[in-house]
Amino acid sequence: MMQANRQPTLRNLLAIVFGAILLACRPAHAEPARERAASERIVALRIEPAALVLANRRDVRRFVVLGRRAVGDWVDLTDRVRLTPADDRIALAPGPAVRPQRVGQSAVEVRYGALTARLPVRVASMTAPSISFVRDVMPILSRAGCNSGTCHGAGAGKNGFKLSLRGYDPEFDYAALAVDVAGRRVNRTEPRQSLLLLKPTQGVPHMGGLIFEVDSPEYRVIRQWIVEGARSDVGSTARVARLEAFPKRPVVPLPGMKQRQVVIAHYPDGTTRDVTEQVVFSSSAREVASVEPDGTITAARRGETAILMRYEGAYYTNEVTVMGDRRGFRWTPVPEYNFIDTAVYRKLRRFKVAPGELCTDDEFIRRVSLDLTGIPPAPEAVRRFLADPTESRVKRARLVEELLDSPAYVEYWTNKWADLLQVNRKYLGDRGVWVFRQWIREAVARNLPYDEFVRQLLTARGNSNDQPAANYMRILREPAVANENVTQLFLGVRFQCAKCHDHPFEVWTQNQYYQFAAYFAQVEFKRDDGGAEIVYDRTEGEVKHPKGDRVVAPRVPFEHPGAKAEGPTRREALARWLTAPENPLFAKAIVNRVWSYLLGRGIIDPVDDLRNSNPPVNAELLDALTADFVRSGFDLKHLLRTITASRVYQHRIETNRWNEDDRLNFSHALPRRLTAEQLLDAIAMATDSWPKFPGLPRGIRAAQLPDTRVAAGGFLDLFGRPPRESPCECERSNEVSLSQTLNLINGATIAEAINDPEGRVARLAKSTLSDEEVITEIYLAAWCRYPTPREMATSLAHLRSAGSRLEGAQDLMWALINTPAFLFNR
Amino acid sequence: MLSIPGRPGRTCDGFTRRELLRVGGATMFGLSLSQYLFLKETAAAEPPAGNANVPGWNKAKHVILIFLQGGPSHLDIWDPKPDAPANIRGEFKPIETVVKGIQLSETMPKLAQQMDKATLIRSVSYTPAGLFNHTAAMYQMLTGETPDKVSPTGQLEPPSPTDFPTAASHVAKLRPPDVPMLASVMLPRPLQESHVIQKGGTAGFLGKAYDPYFLFQDPNEPIKLDDLTLRQEVSKIRLQRRATLVQTLNEGMPELERAVSGYALNKYYEQAFDLILSGRARRAFDLTEEPTDLRERYGRHTFGQSCLLARRLIEAGTRFVQVNWPAVANGNPNVDAWDTHAANFGPLKNLHCPKLDSGLSTLLWDLDQRGLLDETLVVAIGEFGRSPRMGVSTSGNGNAPDGRDHWPYCYTGLIAGAGVKRGSVYGKSDATGSTPAENPVHPSRILATVYHALGISPSTIVYNHLNQPRELVKAEPILDLF
Repeated sequence: MMQANRQPTLRNLLAIVFGAILLACRPAHAEPARERAASERIVALRIEPAALVLANRRDVRRFVVLGRRAVGDWVDLTDRVRLTPADDRIALAPGPAVRPQRVGQSAVEVRYGALTARLPVRVASMTAPSISFVRDVMPILSRAGCNSGTCHGAGAGKNGFKLSLRGYDPEFDYAALAVDVAGRRVNRTEPRQSLLLLKPTQGVPHMGGLIFEVDSPEYRVIRQWIVEGARSDVGSTARVARLEAFPKRPVVPLPGMKQRQVVIAHYPDGTTRDVTEQVVFSSSAREVASVEPDGTITAARRGETAILMRYEGAYYTNEVTVMGDRRGFRWTPVPEYNFIDTAVYRKLRRFKVAPGELCTDDEFIRRVSLDLTGIPPAPEAVRRFLADPTESRVKRARLVEELLDSPAYVEYWTNKWADLLQVNRKYLGDRGVWVFRQWIREAVARNLPYDEFVRQLLTARGNSNDQPAANYMRILREPAVANENVTQLFLGVRFQCAKCHDHPFEVWTQNQYYQFAAYFAQVEFKRDDGGAEIVYDRTEGEVKHPKGDRVVAPRVPFEHPGAKAEGPTRREALARWLTAPENPLFAKAIVNRVWSYLLGRGIIDPVDDLRNSNPPVNAELLDALTADFVRSGFDLKHLLRTITASRVYQHRIETNRWNEDDRLNFSHALPRRLTAEQLLDAIAMATDSWPKFPGLPRGIRAAQLPDTRVAAGGFLDLFGRPPRESPCECERSNEVSLSQTLNLINGATIAEAINDPEGRVARLAKSTLSDEEVITEIYLAAWCRYPTPREMATSLAHLRSAGSRLEGAQDLMWALINTPAFLFNR
Repeated sequence: MLSIPGRPGRTCDGFTRRELLRVGGATMFGLSLSQYLFLKETAAAEPPAGNANVPGWNKAKHVILIFLQGGPSHLDIWDPKPDAPANIRGEFKPIETVVKGIQLSETMPKLAQQMDKATLIRSVSYTPAGLFNHTAAMYQMLTGETPDKVSPTGQLEPPSPTDFPTAASHVAKLRPPDVPMLASVMLPRPLQESHVIQKGGTAGFLGKAYDPYFLFQDPNEPIKLDDLTLRQEVSKIRLQRRATLVQTLNEGMPELERAVSGYALNKYYEQAFDLILSGRARRAFDLTEEPTDLRERYGRHTFGQSCLLARRLIEAGTRFVQVNWPAVANGNPNVDAWDTHAANFGPLKNLHCPKLDSGLSTLLWDLDQRGLLDETLVVAIGEFGRSPRMGVSTSGNGNAPDGRDHWPYCYTGLIAGAGVKRGSVYGKSDATGSTPAENPVHPSRILATVYHALGISPSTIVYNHLNQPRELVKAEPILDLF
């Protein structure tokens, strides 16, 4: 990270000094200018969109001219080409754009040096349609920010004037403008005296400042609308159906280069409009590329970003790649173990990233054991695995099978699901926690298909001790909470925003929020013996929309061909729709989540924020994994097996020149700090000294603790164990802090494990093993590998200079634990 | 001279000369090197010498920021309006203070006796540029950046590594302590609104290494700091030997070191070793070393003892202590949170204010009698005040008839020490305490004043995670305070 690079270490200082010397000695003409110019020669032109139709007198449309360079990439030439209208049916306008003059077929001639191209333009009509409130006026308010959350779109409006947030409710907005305040906002007799024109032009004081000038294009549209009677077409004119941008998914060769975009709105009646000037643009990674209000992208550094576009409740995402200088890059083929590698390497090749090396067997056994069972391998297992002469790929696959069949696998994934399902005494009481956890445990042990697992959680009814899955509804309880948690956990969708207004960056609306919540409106609870409750479904009970206090009928936010949301109870109807293989989000969300556990980052990240404006870094990969998972019958073990079998999963941490700046595309492994439970269990495994948790039998490991109220000397909480108050992955913290290093250095947990007279360190020190053998055992236990000769020498020197062999061995174990090699899954 | 048979070449403390060199040269806990680097960083931030004559410049060695999270009602504490209509002036009467012409609310009798040590800024004012909630306002107060940067989606968001750094972190980086000690401490608990913890209170783009040390214990109870106490079986020398071993082993795996560099592990280890080996922090947290009557005078409650702990920490060398008001807005009138949307008066009088009054007044008195007030800047302020008119909604929240809503447009902060005028008022609110009548003060100017007092130019450039230059705060210090 930047942070570390900025720390002026001695090593860096030296590098700077020597670097400067080398630079000074380097010949200035490293690459002949002529050669570079030749590679940048333009060999072909392309115009986007490829043809234009102008529908009426006011229809003005932009276009973009691209040039293909000899090296094969495309650059924006719009500014550098000569444009000529073929005849007087059309005229050029700033943008560049074309404006209609006469009906008929025409064209724009494009010339760049000796290259020419032609953009066909047809003027279909020269009529002048009246101004539409929905299509002309509302977009101006959105683009100017009038209805944003910080201005009149705020919950309470601003200075007595309220609009719906980002225009999600045109009916409300029309009333606010044209009906309220006795016609002062819109003055039909003297349009120029309308507040709607006076305020933004600061003809009267406006807290929001100057928004547009008198007689600007915005001003003229609004004035014309008022002149024409300020009519509403809210009921009769459909809003935009979808957006489309040109060029799609551009690759900008170098930082500093620009790329224009054209955005077209499609309406349900088949008409289209150039809305480039009205769209609100933003870039998801401004450090990679920024976007100007007219849609022009400016590349800043190599990387990928998504340009988000918002226009009248429609959204579009154009993914942009900034390639950067990759001269000298050559793709060297690497073996592809399965379809994961195919998808990842295809992307790496396109983006000019070299895949990393394959990890060693000792790295693999530690990594995969932590990922599948939450605990590093015992030294004997490491020794056996390394000694096994079987071909590495075969024995790795065999190891995965062993781990998937182990009790440790069950404990680890039970704990994971207990986190996500919020198995917490606060909601369930002691007994509820116990039975619910037990149910999860059995489901994991049986490898219950994931769709069935979720179906049971969503629909279980009866006494919560007899039907433990029913405890999930006891945790959720309220329809709104159930809605938010179920959508976030099982669909990866954050519905929370839509509780109060339409989601600002997504298609989810406030109506959909309450329609979805309505599926949980008829769940009822009745106290029963033993702290249990009876969970059942009634035939009454409704959810009300806060606007107008009206009852909202249950309805799913989107349809899919797999299953309709129908069933004897509302919950069963929902479960049927939600868990269907055809649901485009259900399988994808879990696949992405599991991937993130094993690779350190979601293909969509954060993993519980699936939306169009947060696109996957590798859609091919996610789609292929999802399809494979559905084909397997929602088999979670199959998913884990597939991921761990890929070469991508088995990459090393170590980077090369061509992937060191990549953290998104899985070109090398990312070190992940051990989770709180993994860390505590790893310390126990290394020292063979198992902590005793209050109220629980000895031998229980951290991943087996029933809930988060079990204290462990504060260690687990200090290292970020999730409190299980929400299903958000963000509850778990895997950061590092000063308090943590203090604890690692000086805290009781490690000290007691190292000093345990029954533990591994004491046993080894007392044994008849040689110093070298003792050291080897400690390395195998802590780092899951043999020491290198250099490490052996260092360790031996320490052991022999310590107060006693025991102290030396304790010191060595302490030191190995206090390194990234232990603290991270690597 | 100690010598261990069979192990020649040792110095009496168990180090070979080569090991000593390694320790010094490898930044593990080599104080000399880290101090050298700190000095270099500090030197880079050193302002032009001309500042030496500017009032208040570089007068503060320490800062105690009492952050009254929740937003206390300025009318009912420091800016009484006895002549305003009943639904504005509220239930409390003004009282005289030791400074002629300065009145406080009757809720602050003890502070009234110490007003000769402080200045009240009664015209703190800003208009939220974004969301109107606590998190956004705290972010504004403590980072100096507008709250619309907090949350583009309109939801409360947890701290992010791209956030603007909190003042405590800037100070930790630009003015590290002169002795091995926690550079900045936030106590007794983190900032919080709803489930969002610590937004606006982290090092953000400076990197986690500059996060304040977060306590999260009640100083009114015995504080457990096992981590800061050297364990019995591990001598100083043994710990140093262990550290050297770790360092050597890590050097053998440079690619792993590089891969985890984003976690700033080395920096944390370095700090942790310094702290444990010096034992300084450990003692500073031990309030039992204080006389009982002084502890009583501060008040035997979380806030009072937090103020006392703040004094002990700066005495031990901590540069920046932030005492966050211990209760967090939760709508329950029986909890002493300042967010009094309902039941503003009874709880203020009986629950909140007595604690603020004893803690703050004793801190000023205690610092002064120890001669520390002249080198310590004390600021007490919330993220906003509360609406002068009762029972109206200004933030979109519901308010009971006896409640007051959020009000950033005009409120009061207290500032003292490090050359700030004693017994003074800066700025003035209008007849109802609704808008500044004189000298409006944007809160970013208070931050600028803090940096200025520490000898850090507010326009110092720091680099964010994208290596873009950013000013510490885009505001001028209030020189008339000095």
